[in-house]
Amino acid sequence: MSTAIAHYQSEFERLGSLLPWQDSPQWQEWRRSGWAHFASLGFPTTRHEEWKYTSLAALEKLALSCAPAAPEAPQPTWDSLKARAVLPQARYRAVFVDGRFSPQLSQLDGLPAGIAVRPLSALSVRDSLGLQVPLQAVRARTPFAGLNAAFMAEGAWITAAAEASLDDPLLILYVTTRGGQAQHVVNAYHLAAGSRVAVAEQYLGLTDEAYFVNQVAGVRLETGAQLSHVKLQQEGGRAYHIGALQASQQGGSRFESHSFALSGAFGRNDMETALLEPGASVVMNGLYRVASREFQDFHTCIRHESPDCTSDEYFKGVLDGSGRAVFNGKIVVAQDAQHTASRQSNHNLLLSDQAEVDTKPQLEIFADDVKCSHGATVGQLDEAQLFYLRSRGLDPDHARTLLIEAFALDLLSSIGHAELRAAMDHLMRGHAHV
Amino acid sequence: MLIIKDLHASVGDKPILKGINLTVNAGEVHAIMGPNGSGKSTLSNVLAGRENVTVTSGSIEYLGQDLLALEVEERARAGVFLAFQYPVEIPGVGNVYLLKAALNAQRKHRGLPELDAMEFLALVKDKMKLMEMNESMLYRAVNEGFSGGEKKRNEILQMAVLEPRLAILDETDSGLDIDALKIVANGVNSLRHPERSMILVTHYQRLLDYIKPDYVHVLAAGRIVRSGGPELAHELEKQGYAWIGNETSGQEVSSGS
Ligand SMILES: Nc1ncnc2c1ncn2[C@@H]1O[C@H](COP(=O)(O)OP(=O)(O)O)[C@@H](O)[C@H]1O
Ligand SMILES: [Mg+2]
Repeated sequence: MSTAIAHYQSEFERLGSLLPWQDSPQWQEWRRSGWAHFASLGFPTTRHEEWKYTSLAALEKLALSCAPAAPEAPQPTWDSLKARAVLPQARYRAVFVDGRFSPQLSQLDGLPAGIAVRPLSALSVRDSLGLQVPLQAVRARTPFAGLNAAFMAEGAWITAAAEASLDDPLLILYVTTRGGQAQHVVNAYHLAAGSRVAVAEQYLGLTDEAYFVNQVAGVRLETGAQLSHVKLQQEGGRAYHIGALQASQQGGSRFESHSFALSGAFGRNDMETALLEPGASVVMNGLYRVASREFQDFHTCIRHESPDCTSDEYFKGVLDGSGRAVFNGKIVVAQDAQHTASRQSNHNLLLSDQAEVDTKPQLEIFADDVKCSHGATVGQLDEAQLFYLRSRGLDPDHARTLLIEAFALDLLSSIGHAELRAAMDHLMRGHAHV
Repeated sequence: MLIIKDLHASVGDKPILKGINLTVNAGEVHAIMGPNGSGKSTLSNVLAGRENVTVTSGSIEYLGQDLLALEVEERARAGVFLAFQYPVEIPGVGNVYLLKAALNAQRKHRGLPELDAMEFLALVKDKMKLMEMNESMLYRAVNEGFSGGEKKRNEILQMAVLEPRLAILDETDSGLDIDALKIVANGVNSLRHPERSMILVTHYQRLLDYIKPDYVHVLAAGRIVRSGGPELAHELEKQGYAWIGNETSGQEVSSGS
């Protein structure tokens, strides 16, 4: 057994009795099988095809504590967090500090009828079992999702009854204030027929020490349900962020997923959605920005399992310094998924000679009557555009910022939810001008 | 205003400009004509400071300063304006944003206060009327999806807003129908001023029917092979550029051969 696995095993033994829902055989089995999945695979090495460009050696060496913060640990104030929050005026917010739900910082009163947002730590055994529905598929997605299943103790459980809607977007904010910890957090979404939810999950690092956010999201959309989802990574300079998301979509449902990996030493996201019945549609978009020695990796998979579904996938990358990124976009169209419409593109902007990106579309199409397109580009700032702006009197830095911003912000127009779009626009412009 | 002396310039290893001499005084309008590939755009780009053109020898003095020592944006703020032959499209950057940023960069350089949004809009809308442009163009991305004529009008709009001391118009007439040409010419004429000089680069004499130059120069194979008054343009219109082949090898240029 590797030292890393041995470390997490001892954490598992140390913390086992502190994890929630001890008495439930279903959860005992859940954690055991999650652990077994992780322990049998271990930390993937670059010899694994799916992790070819993604070295975890440095993370493996860290002996991180898997215990959530003590309830009495000091917390930042909402006033201090507000300036960094993507939705500073959010009417509803669930805030977690160092892996623990913070009732003081959260605001979940007065949710619309049929909408429930609950921290995992507040769930009784009976209420908790529903979580297993949207999380069922994701826990075997990667070794880290297995590790998450073993340790999961905190996160957000969002449910919508049939036809219910949450149009004021919910902010789920995960703040990390100190190094040395591994947080295994979960977001689970179960939207009943015809319901609508808009949410921004934000991961914010307030420390330059090393830590690890091991995050999992499960999404289940019943007939005609709609989820507008923004995930925002603004992790600390030495942070590791590994996320896995798995969605399943029934007929006519719509999943809009917008990922923004803006900072952090290391990021990896494995995202998958399955379009299970006719009329389901997905938008899976993302932006990764890397500078200095940062690394971001998106592995996505869209499964067209049924006829008449559509998918739009649009990822962009901005790479500076010695930053590196990976984009791997898999589209699978099953044999009877006729009339599939699928578009994928990945465009990258390299701002330095040392920056590097590996981009790979992976199309597996077994149906014959489909419209599928894909394309990937890697380019630099356009000299003619830079010259044009400078010839009008703009500083080279200003001109560069404008062009980088234009490249990145172009992605925002696809965010259907107006308030989420405006919030991201505001945040990104600030970001680019810093 | 502008004194170009024995200017040689290359693109890559290829010499393009081979000894240009040109003096433009304040208030004068000079037309530079010549066949395709003769170096007209290269000369325009050298004046604006494009990095892919290397000046190998010679000098350019602009308002008593060494123009070649100035960065691209410094030249712009000092009043040099190039209306591009092929204005580039810049998706994601608003036309109105660029106009305002450009004007304020220049004002700041001159120690003037920046204009606020209201003052700026009033000014720009006024200039748009002159160019018979629809205000909706302000809110589009710079040149994105503009027709050829719209791009050229947009260049002259920028010029009208920035009020340069030296304007170089690189084939602003090409690709314009007669109505658009008249509007553009009208805009340019309204900007004629005793303190403002213009260099009109054109392949055809047509533009010069609407904007009367003080001097006409013929550029061929990187050198000015003839200079004269407006009548030279008419002569070229009749003769075409075929005769130039005979003259480029010669040292001196005689008139009216
Ligand atoms: N970027 C470039 N790379 C290589 N050659 C160029 C480039 N730009 C211009 N040239 C060459 O320089 C010469 C002059 O071009 P240009 O100045 O555009 O002429 P004009 O504007 O008079 O038509 C031509 O032979 C052209 O092929
Ligand atoms: Mg030209």
